[in-house]
Amino acid sequence: MPYLGSEDTERELRRALCNPHIQSDPLRYRNTVLKVLRAMSQGVDVSGLFSEMVKACATVDIVQKKLVYVFLCSYAALNPELSLLVINTLRKDCQDPNPMVRSLALRNMTNLRLSSLVEYVEQPLTAGLRDRAACVRRVAVLGWAKIHNLQPNSETDAAVVNELYTLLRDPDPVVMVNCLRALEEILKEEGGVAINKPITHHLLNRLKECDVWGQCEVLRVLQRYRPQTEDELFDILSLLDASLVSPHPPVMAATLSLFLGLCSALPAVGLAALERVRAPLLTACGSPSREMRLTALCHIQLLLRSLPGLMGAHYKRFFCGYAEPAYIKQRKMQVLVELVNDDNVAMILDELRGYCTDVNTDTAQAAISAIGGIGRSYSDRCLEILTGLLGLKQEHITSAVVQTMRDLVWVCPQCSDTVCEALEGCEDTLQDSQGRQALLWLLAVYGERVSSAPYTLEVFIDGVRSETSVGVKMELLTTTMRLFLCRPAETQDMLGRLLHYCIEEETDMCVRDQGHLYYRLLHRGIEETQKVLQGRRSDPSLGVLIGRPAEPVSQWACSFNTLDPLKQGPVETEPPSRGSPEHVTFDPKPNTDLSETLDCSQIVKLHSASDRASGCSDSSAEGLASSVAPPLSLSLTPVLSPEEFERLWLQRQDLHTEQDAEKREEEEDCACLVEHIRGPAIAHCSPQSLQAAMQLVNIQTLAFTPPHTLPWRVYLFTHTQHTHSGNAPHSTLIVGELLYTGEANRRVRLVKTGSDDGVLVEGSEEEHVREGGDPTPAGLRESARENGEEEEVKVTLKQQPRDDSALKGFLSILTTVLHTLSSERA
Amino acid sequence: MIHSLFLINSSGDIFLEKHWKSVVSRSVCDYFFEAQERATEPENVPPVIPTPHHYLISVLRHRIYFVAVIQSEVPPLFVIEFLHRVVDTFQDYFGVCTEAAIKDNVVVVYELLEEMLDNGFPLATESNILKELIKPPTILRTMVNTITGSTNVGEQLPTGQLSVVPWRRTGVKYTNNEAYFDVVEEIDAIIDKSGSTITAEIQGVIDACVKLTGMPDLTLSFMNPRLLDDVSFHPCVRFKRWEAERILSFIPPDGNFRLLSYHVSSQNLVAIPVYVKHNISFREGSSQGRFDLTLGPKQTMGKSVEAVLVSSQLPRGVLTANLNPSQGTYTFDPVTKMLTWDVGKINPQKLPSLKGTMSLQAGASKPDENPTINIQLKIQQMAISGLKVNRLDMYGEKYKPFKGIKYMTKAGKFQVRT
Repeated sequence: MPYLGSEDTERELRRALCNPHIQSDPLRYRNTVLKVLRAMSQGVDVSGLFSEMVKACATVDIVQKKLVYVFLCSYAALNPELSLLVINTLRKDCQDPNPMVRSLALRNMTNLRLSSLVEYVEQPLTAGLRDRAACVRRVAVLGWAKIHNLQPNSETDAAVVNELYTLLRDPDPVVMVNCLRALEEILKEEGGVAINKPITHHLLNRLKECDVWGQCEVLRVLQRYRPQTEDELFDILSLLDASLVSPHPPVMAATLSLFLGLCSALPAVGLAALERVRAPLLTACGSPSREMRLTALCHIQLLLRSLPGLMGAHYKRFFCGYAEPAYIKQRKMQVLVELVNDDNVAMILDELRGYCTDVNTDTAQAAISAIGGIGRSYSDRCLEILTGLLGLKQEHITSAVVQTMRDLVWVCPQCSDTVCEALEGCEDTLQDSQGRQALLWLLAVYGERVSSAPYTLEVFIDGVRSETSVGVKMELLTTTMRLFLCRPAETQDMLGRLLHYCIEEETDMCVRDQGHLYYRLLHRGIEETQKVLQGRRSDPSLGVLIGRPAEPVSQWACSFNTLDPLKQGPVETEPPSRGSPEHVTFDPKPNTDLSETLDCSQIVKLHSASDRASGCSDSSAEGLASSVAPPLSLSLTPVLSPEEFERLWLQRQDLHTEQDAEKREEEEDCACLVEHIRGPAIAHCSPQSLQAAMQLVNIQTLAFTPPHTLPWRVYLFTHTQHTHSGNAPHSTLIVGELLYTGEANRRVRLVKTGSDDGVLVEGSEEEHVREGGDPTPAGLRESARENGEEEEVKVTLKQQPRDDSALKGFLSILTTVLHTLSSERA
Repeated sequence: MIHSLFLINSSGDIFLEKHWKSVVSRSVCDYFFEAQERATEPENVPPVIPTPHHYLISVLRHRIYFVAVIQSEVPPLFVIEFLHRVVDTFQDYFGVCTEAAIKDNVVVVYELLEEMLDNGFPLATESNILKELIKPPTILRTMVNTITGSTNVGEQLPTGQLSVVPWRRTGVKYTNNEAYFDVVEEIDAIIDKSGSTITAEIQGVIDACVKLTGMPDLTLSFMNPRLLDDVSFHPCVRFKRWEAERILSFIPPDGNFRLLSYHVSSQNLVAIPVYVKHNISFREGSSQGRFDLTLGPKQTMGKSVEAVLVSSQLPRGVLTANLNPSQGTYTFDPVTKMLTWDVGKINPQKLPSLKGTMSLQAGASKPDENPTINIQLKIQQMAISGLKVNRLDMYGEKYKPFKGIKYMTKAGKFQVRT
């Protein structure tokens, strides 16, 4: 904020600076310079005093020199010509016997940042590189980086670069680190400082001498190094081991980041490293600095993506303190949701319930949606809490609860009864549009079970003229339409009024168009309308996967110890303001991007048809495969992301349901296979060992349910590469699922009719049909049947494009792996 | 790495700026001010704010925001730790790190910042080295300087940078040789309604003030070293020796330094020094509420609990509180609804209590949450974790030093839910 009287101040200061009496008294002179700086720091423009300050620079008083330098460096850019005057004094200081003066002069010479002065600076800088005193060398090294920044396009002298490389071996660790920093900047275009084996080992050996900052820098630069042999890799890792548990969080994080980079080919080592950093990370979470706590929490969230069980025993460390800032509370709740298991769920829910009444509405809403998140696995307890919260009749709480219930019901339809009961009477407290939209959506889906639904709607429709939110109006239209389909008598009149309003009076185009759409739809007759509007309910089949599947470390390793994990606001991961699930179906999120839930009988029919077809071709192909058996190799590239996988998996499932003829062709292009592999106790082996084993043969596992949970599933994929004699190499993509239900297979087949689990039904039914239809791939399955009591893992594979021999080959590899694993267990 | 630093006070004025690379316009802070406005409480400003061309990483300490401007991707922990180091250094130099102190010493601040970073990279951050480069201002020195015209800058090269032991300068001389160690522990705990502990952990530090001549080599041993699970040492401590024998062996820096900090997290080891009996209730339909609070010592190993201060944020609906303390004084701020009770020392024979009524706003509904009680306290001569120093020996020098050790327990984030 510039002072109004800034000109007066400047004039007064100038008079004082020019006063010979003041100039002759060192103390008064320095105090005047001090006043100039104070004015400068208060934002007064004192650039006009530049020439006077240049004169003040010629003094023996170091403090005054420092002060003048601070001034000159801030205003040099405005007075390039005058700055030339300073250079002389500075160059003279570079010859001073006191190293401190030398380094000060050198530093400020480079801090002037005037490209016109570069030619005068280069010579003292070169001299500075060879100075006796380490502190001068430190400054000189960085000085070259600054000069390079001034003239980014000019080629830096190769001799200088060489000299800097030599200085990497300087006895002073700070000089060494500064050299790294300078070279990184100067050689940016060539990809930074060249990291070869000798340099790497030199840096690693001297890591201990550096201060915290230096260590971080070295570790960061080393990320570019790729060790040549495995022995070397392990040597490096063991050198780094000590700093992995460093008490300084920045060093710890930098080391882990380097570790993960080095171990990208050895996931097991990477996971072990994560275990090692647990203690230091938890300590950082308890650090007195809030910012540190937040950063540690964000990084813990990253780690949990790969090792969901990592912090399970320490969940209490993530309970929120009363006075903690909202952003920490919200992060902690996100972590808590991840840590829920059978033992601690009661404690965590109790804790979260306490946060729901937080003074900060954002925190309260985050707590409620956290409870909703836990509700996906423990729906009863959570619903109890949520309904309890409705009783408080607080506006923001009710809104958040209704939104959470909507999201929950979508994944866990079994909760719908409780939700329907709870809905009664909460429309009075709802004020914001998000909450009302959620309520309307729930009424649309479960309208026939909420007795007061038409009355609630009536209130909404009566008030539609004063409604401002477009979203609410759209939702209201859909809800009224749906409710009309199940309770026509009560709703017909209000639907008419609403449609009339929307078409005749509404000014918003979206709402009007939707109104028109529904109106025309009703003209087509009630059946047509029903088909359009009542297709979709929720699909619970993905709720089977408890929690998020563990991702491989490589998914997030590159963003570890960067600003990335901090960037995404806490709101982004669980957006409370998202529309109804239906409105986001294009979103590739797991719980929304689903095919229509299928009528069971329909699937069965379709599958039997399609499978008989594929089964037949199977049999013929098998004969071929067994006689020729061309070499088959598996590879992991290109890597399939979980989203892609899900898309493929569900798409394959979809295809079976489409009856259209043109789709049939596509189906020809892909194959589907279900097999049973006998393998006691596969489901009990640890995910790590399973993953490691799979990776040995180049099969990538994408997601697991945790061990000892039932049903236990693993999703996996691989690419087969297959050279037919004479043909070009032929590659296919295989996606697959292992399913272990924990019962003998017979029981599974009993369950099938009642189960709402789409995949399961499909699988066993399919199998059933095939058994009747074609007896060919019987060997394996027959033996399984005989040992019906023994444990079996059901394998469902989907392949694209179709290549049966490759599929067979893959299956045999998979069988071998699973057998090996289970025999190891035994 | 760190482009610029802005110091912003809680009312949103930039009162100091420093640029290490090119000058970044103050307008970049507008993004920060926006975030500051959005945050309801000063501490709710997010630490990392992305802007189109920069990142702003801020830490809030002593009601001052230290905002670092970053132009490229950096490890966030690095920047945050560095900013805290800056604040620690200011505090070390000026005793307090307030806006007034920084403005008074603006020149020293500039000198310090200049030494701590060069071209955006940390240069000298060790307090001992900095103190040799720039002498901290003291009242005496300010007076002497005004009279003699001498300066705050060390005249010779700081020897520490060249000595074999980087943290200790050579040729230290004292007439009285003394070494003091303070074991300070803070309990962070959350106690639930029924008085059982939800979480409790101890953050402890050992601060040392060593004024010894020459190059002494000290060893410090504990009675119960296994207690410490998460330890972080000053770089002077020989880590090998600690790992093998659980003995701290080190050549100390000269003056004040933090020898180690540790963390005791296993809950069974954390003793809770006080208990709180509380009865805070609001009746439905009535505009009165009852408030009844009694404190008592719990596991204090016979030491007295002192300097107890109880504070609680009462619900928004509370208009006034009419309370009667058995000892100490209480205040209730009707605007912030903050109730503070300065208890003083707890006398186990006559437990302090605070009883009375609260009146609620007419027509307001019963508050749906009960207030949380925060407690501050001090216990002298005891480390609550039970940590005890066994002995301190000195090698390498002939004289007999004076040795002292002090224990102290404080409440950190200690809260009781009601």
